[in-house]
Amino acid sequence: MTTLALDRPFKRPTTRRKVRSTLVRVLLYICLAAVAVFLLLPFFWMVVSSLKRDIDVFSVPIQWIPDAFRWEHYQEIWGVEPWKGSSMLDWLRNTLILSVVVTFLQVLTGSFAAYGFSRIRFPGRDVLFLGYIATIAVPWQAYMVPQFLLMSQAGLVDTLWSMIVLQAFGAFGVFLMKQFYETIPEELSESARIDGLSEYGIWARIMVPLTGPAIASLALLTFVNTWNDYLGPRIYLRSPENFTIQLGLQLFRSNPDVATRWDLLFTGSVLSVLPIAIIFLAGQKYFVEGIATSGMKS
Amino acid sequence: MSEVVAEAALVEGKTQAGVRYRAKDKTPRSRRSKLRLRNTLLGWSFIAPNFIGFALLTLLPILALFYVSFTDWNAFGQANWIGLDNFRRLFTKEPNFEIALKNTLYYTVLHVPLTMAASLGLAILLNRKLKGVTFFRTAAFFPYICSIVAVAVVWNALFHPEYGPINEVLRFIGIDDPPRWTVSKEWAMPAVVIVGTWREMGYYMLLYLAGLQTIPREQYEAASLDGASSWQQFLYVTWPGLRPQTFFIAVMLTIGSMKVFDLVLVMTDGGPGTATLVLSQLIWNKSFKETGQFGYASSIAVVLFVICLVFTLVQFFVNKRNQK
Amino acid sequence: MKMQKALALGIAAVIAISLAGCSSDDPSTDPNGSATGPVELTVSGWSLSTTPEFQVLADAFMAENQDIKVVIKEYDAADYETLMLTDMSAGTAPDIITIKQAKFTSLWVQGGQLLDVSDVVAGLGPEVSGSSSYVVDGASYAVAYRQDHWVLFYNKDLFDQAGVAYPDGTWTWDDYATAAKALSAALGQGVFGTYEHSWQSTLQGFANTQSPGANPSLVLNGEDYGYMKPYYERVLDLQASGAQESYANLTTNKLTYQGQFGKQFAAMLPMGSWYVATLTSQQASGDADGFAWGIAPIPQYDSSTTGLDKMPVTFGDPTGFAINKNIDSAKVDAAKKWLDFVASEKAGVELAKIGIVSSVSTSAVTEAYFAMPGIATDDLSKFAMSAHKTGPENPVSLNIQEIQSILNEAHSAIMSESGSVDSELAIARDKIKLILS
Repeated sequence: MTTLALDRPFKRPTTRRKVRSTLVRVLLYICLAAVAVFLLLPFFWMVVSSLKRDIDVFSVPIQWIPDAFRWEHYQEIWGVEPWKGSSMLDWLRNTLILSVVVTFLQVLTGSFAAYGFSRIRFPGRDVLFLGYIATIAVPWQAYMVPQFLLMSQAGLVDTLWSMIVLQAFGAFGVFLMKQFYETIPEELSESARIDGLSEYGIWARIMVPLTGPAIASLALLTFVNTWNDYLGPRIYLRSPENFTIQLGLQLFRSNPDVATRWDLLFTGSVLSVLPIAIIFLAGQKYFVEGIATSGMKS
Repeated sequence: MSEVVAEAALVEGKTQAGVRYRAKDKTPRSRRSKLRLRNTLLGWSFIAPNFIGFALLTLLPILALFYVSFTDWNAFGQANWIGLDNFRRLFTKEPNFEIALKNTLYYTVLHVPLTMAASLGLAILLNRKLKGVTFFRTAAFFPYICSIVAVAVVWNALFHPEYGPINEVLRFIGIDDPPRWTVSKEWAMPAVVIVGTWREMGYYMLLYLAGLQTIPREQYEAASLDGASSWQQFLYVTWPGLRPQTFFIAVMLTIGSMKVFDLVLVMTDGGPGTATLVLSQLIWNKSFKETGQFGYASSIAVVLFVICLVFTLVQFFVNKRNQK
Repeated sequence: MKMQKALALGIAAVIAISLAGCSSDDPSTDPNGSATGPVELTVSGWSLSTTPEFQVLADAFMAENQDIKVVIKEYDAADYETLMLTDMSAGTAPDIITIKQAKFTSLWVQGGQLLDVSDVVAGLGPEVSGSSSYVVDGASYAVAYRQDHWVLFYNKDLFDQAGVAYPDGTWTWDDYATAAKALSAALGQGVFGTYEHSWQSTLQGFANTQSPGANPSLVLNGEDYGYMKPYYERVLDLQASGAQESYANLTTNKLTYQGQFGKQFAAMLPMGSWYVATLTSQQASGDADGFAWGIAPIPQYDSSTTGLDKMPVTFGDPTGFAINKNIDSAKVDAAKKWLDFVASEKAGVELAKIGIVSSVSTSAVTEAYFAMPGIATDDLSKFAMSAHKTGPENPVSLNIQEIQSILNEAHSAIMSESGSVDSELAIARDKIKLILS
């Protein structure tokens, strides 16, 4: 915890302090590097496996460096159709549409509802909120059949719409945003109210801008969860042209007798992780340097 | 917008966080009920867009699940009401229920505190201006986005009893008889917990990172001027400031741990024996994998739900009390 | 107010469920009665690009029946039963339901999803096997079109290299174990005498069908599973002596039997006959090494069933077609024609050409099978493929899946050596007794 104060030197540091802080920094880097290796190991394994021959992917003990690097897998994967009429490009497109729409709806409706739960007092509010959280406690496998019946009656099975409506209105976003709204002092909204702003105005012009990091993390987490979901699309999306990336990749191994292509499966897995990594890197400053803090500095 | 933000910052600087809204105290009694109605309508107008979708697609099926748990529904045809038979069977004639319940609680008790500590530690460690911090934050998030098959393969190799690196290290430091991890009944669950923590800490780190941004810097400055040590700053500024996030994470983690499913499936598939069999897996087995006993499987889900609800309520009230 | 709302929602949900239930109970209404023009039959299938059997059958069938159009509805192979179950519950399952795993028959019959086809089965000749796996309470619900059984694959090159004699059809499991040890010792580092896959059936399937007094109810009655002990002790000994890859390696590295045998890491492989087609195609494509191999009858419990003049006992489940109970009544005749066709010699020959072991065994089918390029054609291989007494892997019962699940727990505990054979089998017995009580 000593390093907490490092970024905020209120007193001029003495030379001894400087030496100490450099030492701490070096140690910190060593620690972080070790942790990073540990964290990235499976990803590294995925990359290595994507460059191996299929039959060499699983071996005892693990082969960390392949005999030959088969980069051609990264070209091959775009042309393969493990299920006729459905290839990597289609899966990526579907997954992207789904993730973007779901994230947008989840963030919008979630943060809107969270305002109702955290800032407006009305009878039954807490019970309703608890009900929201409680539904998170029910494993999806237990109610997916009743849900499937409903969706089937509505004619939504085997459309991307089914996945959108299924994932966009979860309780997760409401809960998360409510927790962040509670960190914003009530006085802010009150002074805005005195200035004649409506509750909707307060949400749009005060709460949303002040919870930038929260919105960014909610968006990222929703995006990732939608991107990586397997069981939901598995049940609802039947036609290969509607497949998401996770469904598509499983096609490389779904016929255990003949068609297992672990090499391509991991090639696809590496490719499917990249967009998320890019979004994460690009979104960095929003997660950490929220507008709340930057506003305070000025 | 920037003016609002600037003004907001000004107000925030002046006031203490956590002062409650007392508008209704200033309102004359006669207008109270009118205000109440207005607030109710207003509140619902905010909640409705999410609630309509939520009620239709989540709440309704869940209510159906509760109904089904009292029937013999098998996914086809009619659901006949059989009262408490499913629950009676679960508690008296299900050899794996007690085992799965214990395993689930065991996983939760180990996994929740470990993950909270790890994610908070990571967040504080990475909440600073440091060259390359972006890379490290991304790395911390990678386990969560990595293919779970790859995670299982690599960790199983790390845990390999004979030539896994973990046991090689343990032997090197003088432990002659290291655990057999995923192929031993005693150590399979701790192994799964370790992987679970490793996988999810980056996820919760992100929430803690976002939470750290909401703590005004002035509070640290004030504490620092008062001569507070780093540990004291953590104890009196950081930890209380993160209360809403901690509550959220505690609830989500507890529920998530109680529902753990895919990780166990790919790591050990419940084995060896029943050493890592958990409740969600039992639900899956009884419904889809084995005999399509959806009524019966629903009763297990109801038990799981009740346990989660108790945990959540406790956390809810602890949080409410701390809030005051 | 809250209470009322919750109640209302609950009722709505219940209505939704019972509506769905009703709609799938009623056969779809058909105002016209008899169909005019070509009848369209939908058939469930999986992995069509790599499992050509469905299209092969459909093409041959349509050539004979111009007025029937067969459309294959593709499912994902890995989650076939889950998807089928959701489709059945929503009333959207196809006309012909393929039974991928025989153990799901009881469940689907009990759920009122399959049509009684006893009349079709009664008309089948004695050369057609496998349909007994689909009999529930005396009525037949499906016709088998393929019937696999377990055999012993062996790598002739590795046997020659080690100087060990090939299997000759007289092997008991002890002879097999002796050979496996001799092979490992002679072949040395990294090559094992045999590879037994991690599935419970690799051991329990044989214990259930070969043990003295074995019959389908042995596994179902939950009396005592001690009869599995010799099988487990033998494999544990093979693991300990290094003649077989350890279970820990098998599961932690997700080893595939195709890789282990195909890349010559193991000299023998007890496996289902479906692997013949896989091995020939992988050798042709270069995914597997090009070595000489043969098929032997699976080793026996004792010498009473060994030798080329006896019927070796093995196990295996069929794959079959059933008719959706909610099928349009105008299509029933066409659907029954399909069932009849898939168990005909013609269908058997077509399947044999692509390496599939048909449920029909006639000399024409066997001839077509061994005409496949790359297949082992020695006499012992032919004997192993054609002469066998095959018991069911999963006897028909509503409880079979729960029982198998508990026995699988015992399997993983014993094989990982985290529990002793006796205690784990006793635990399984007690659990199964509790479930059956």
